[in-house]
Amino acid sequence: MSCLITLSHAPYGSQDAKEALDVALVLAAFEQQPALLFIDEGILQLLPNSQSPSSHKHIGKIISALEMYEINELWVEQESLDYFGIMVDELSQPVKVINRAQVSQLCAQYHQHLVF
Amino acid sequence: MSDLNTLVPPSLNEAALTYTIVVRCGADQQSQALSAFRFTQQVLSQGHRVLRVFFYQQGVHWSSGFRVMPQDELNITALWQQLSLDYGIELGVCIAAALQSGIVDPQESIRYELGGENLASQFMLVGLGQLAAASVESDRLVSFGG
Repeated sequence: MSCLITLSHAPYGSQDAKEALDVALVLAAFEQQPALLFIDEGILQLLPNSQSPSSHKHIGKIISALEMYEINELWVEQESLDYFGIMVDELSQPVKVINRAQVSQLCAQYHQHLVF
Repeated sequence: MSDLNTLVPPSLNEAALTYTIVVRCGADQQSQALSAFRFTQQVLSQGHRVLRVFFYQQGVHWSSGFRVMPQDELNITALWQQLSLDYGIELGVCIAAALQSGIVDPQESIRYELGGENLASQFMLVGLGQLAAASVESDRLVSFGG
């Protein structure tokens, strides 16, 4: 059962980013490696060297653990990169870039899709 | 004559699917929460199987037995409890999210010496793994809220 998880929340300010990544890691622990699609403020989770506020777990550390969990399929939406003026080579992980118009095709490739 | 409200016994629905429902909307999002309940109710009444309803993020608030509603408003917690009794479905609550929101069962109350418990009956504290396990076994994963 293939699963796509969309992450649209900024890394800090709420628990949303962490709780979405928790679902990804748990699915991976069940050998159901999900693909991750970062959109909107969610792409900020992929910025390197971010410092976490003391009230939050360090999102960068969870992101860097994805590879160990064999979560290797990471997608980033081009329009979100453009909005924040971020170049793809500035991100902490190797990602595949997709246009907004292609997102629905990406979703269609998976049995399940969770949006956070 | 067809009647939309007629219950179809599960054995008569040959196209029955297995569902997992995820409730992520909190107590301040009554409309979404009610949609989640009504959807689940319809899925069951049409003879489909609901493997588990999983309450995550803000959704854990629906499992508090201490919610008191104004008399003219629906008590969505009570609706879930009755649905669970009627159909024997499992109401799983993410234990990490529940503990952070101050929702505990007797076992956790003893573990953390909290001197009280408030998990509503029919609800059960479970790990996030129960969401993963249910999603693997389900034909449909439907999430509400966020």
